[in-house]
Amino acid sequence: MSDAIRHRLTPLERSERRLGFAMLAPAFLLLAAVVLYPIAELIRNSFHFNHLAQPWMGTPFVGFENYVKALGDDRFHEAVLHTLLYILVTVPGAVVIGLGLALLANQPFRVKWPVRLGLLLPWALPLVFAGLIFRWFFEFNQGIANAMLRGLGLEPLNWLTSPGLAFFAICLAIIWKSSSFVALVLLAGLQTIPKSFYEAAEVDGATKWQQFREITLPMLRPAIFVALIFRTITAIQTFDIPYAMTNGGPGNSTETLAMYIHKTTVDFLDLGYGSALAVLMFIVSAVITSLYLRHTRRDPGRH
Amino acid sequence: MAGIEIASVVKAYGSVPVIHGIDLSVRDGEFVVLVGPSGCGKSTLLRMIAGLESVTDGTIRIGDRVVNDLPPRDRDIAMVFQDYALYPHRTVAENVGFGLRMRGVDAATIARKVNEAAEILQITHLLDRKPGQLSGGQRQRVAMGRAIVRDPKVFLFDEPLSNLDAQLRAEMRVEIKKLHQRFGTTIIYVTHDQVEAMTLADRIAILKAGHVEQFATPDEVYRQPRSTFVARFIGSPSMNIVPARIASDAATVTLAGGTAIAAPAAFARAGGRDVLLGLRAEHLHLAGAEGVPARTVIVEPLGSDTLALMQIGTVEMTGRFPPSAPLRAGGEVTLRLDLDKAHLFDPETGLAIA
Repeated sequence: MSDAIRHRLTPLERSERRLGFAMLAPAFLLLAAVVLYPIAELIRNSFHFNHLAQPWMGTPFVGFENYVKALGDDRFHEAVLHTLLYILVTVPGAVVIGLGLALLANQPFRVKWPVRLGLLLPWALPLVFAGLIFRWFFEFNQGIANAMLRGLGLEPLNWLTSPGLAFFAICLAIIWKSSSFVALVLLAGLQTIPKSFYEAAEVDGATKWQQFREITLPMLRPAIFVALIFRTITAIQTFDIPYAMTNGGPGNSTETLAMYIHKTTVDFLDLGYGSALAVLMFIVSAVITSLYLRHTRRDPGRH
Repeated sequence: MAGIEIASVVKAYGSVPVIHGIDLSVRDGEFVVLVGPSGCGKSTLLRMIAGLESVTDGTIRIGDRVVNDLPPRDRDIAMVFQDYALYPHRTVAENVGFGLRMRGVDAATIARKVNEAAEILQITHLLDRKPGQLSGGQRQRVAMGRAIVRDPKVFLFDEPLSNLDAQLRAEMRVEIKKLHQRFGTTIIYVTHDQVEAMTLADRIAILKAGHVEQFATPDEVYRQPRSTFVARFIGSPSMNIVPARIASDAATVTLAGGTAIAAPAAFARAGGRDVLLGLRAEHLHLAGAEGVPARTVIVEPLGSDTLALMQIGTVEMTGRFPPSAPLRAGGEVTLRLDLDKAHLFDPETGLAIA
């Protein structure tokens, strides 16, 4: 097959292709240096003992010892569980809120830019900023959340220092931050639906709700799917917002997998074990992504 | 079934008026075509009848109900859209039955009605397909099926054939006319194609810049155009319209460029005036000796007859001649202009001089 293609190339195409490879080479080498090499190093590390606080131990090869340790590590299990909970809450949450925002932004506003700007702003904001903003919101004494509770005559809550509430607050921040990206993807999808579809439905007697269910949702399926994939992949790596809001606390109750890896390597200096955890996260990521991709490959017949 | 009464209807977007007070009275069961160049307001008017655009002023009545403030679904109309508006994720059967399902009709009745409509439109074999698997003509049929299952009082068509090639368009024209004969439902049909307007309509409303230029039967708009606009718009080839001056004794008419021709008695109504003289292609004839000298500029054989662009003095006119006519580009001929059939228009207003 590739031979057949090669034979069909004209001399001009062949020289163009050589030029193409030559121009790609620097970028490829750079990528290899900053992506492929660290990944290889990570995998190599995960099979070694490498603890910066115990330099006298050297870095002996330990086989699967780091992975076996992970299997019995409760804190790792909890971090995985927390990460899954964040995914389960914030991914559907962001898609639902994002869909609402997209529908709102798709309305025929006379002046469109404030709506679009409002939609873009959370997306453009760095994650850590969003985390800090929400940390202030939920701060006990001066936070807006407790101010509202007091205004309603209710007792202020320990938002960031009780496990359930902290999880809730973090989820809220993540959903706020990520739903604007979802909304942008879905807004693009909404704008590909011809206006006549709704007009025909209107004439045919469909209510607004029926129009939403019969036209908007099915026509938006591919866009929702793209949003789900992207949102899930980033949710697996949840780090910045809980880091800024609670730093995993109280205790380890809001700690995600990415945060535990960060702590293991940067705070505890256990590079070998941290690498093994990172490899595990990478595998989970890859598996979930490939499940999605398999689903998309099955999908295209639909449209 | 119902007639439609449009009275002093105005449409403005902000302060920009696009329809300036239209009156149209459509009889029950009538096939009315709204025709005009793009931007004339024909689609806007149709969409106001459908309820997809608000009415700025005036009233629209369907049957005996004023529908100005009724939502589209309560107007008992069905509409066929230019892009067919078929849902790609639904089968043909589901698309055709969509309106019934939305109105909560039971599944058995929907299936029966969809099958009936499919038989009429010869799309029974397509019912399980998705619109993406259909040709343009088949989609057009499905869109019509979707309209007829509803059994509405009025059908609205918004340029339904403009996405089809010429041959299919002719075929679907026949199909639409058959449907009208079969159901006898009032139809309002928007097109920019005067052939569709002429062939389909009981009456044609020719719109220009937001007002009705003429509303009459195809025969009448062809034979008695109210203005140069109508005269040019209706008929193919377009009516020849040339500046001319009628002598004060109305004995002769002088075309721009100085060619003087004996004028028929009827021209006395415009004696001594500058006019626009309108003459259809079929009213130019090849004459023997007596007549107007002309030079053949271009010959367009159509098979059934031959069109030729003739230069008479400094003006040009297209004539329709028998295919056997001895015409060749550059040749000199003598023409007889059948001025009894000519139209006279006021050069200032463009209106016919009665």
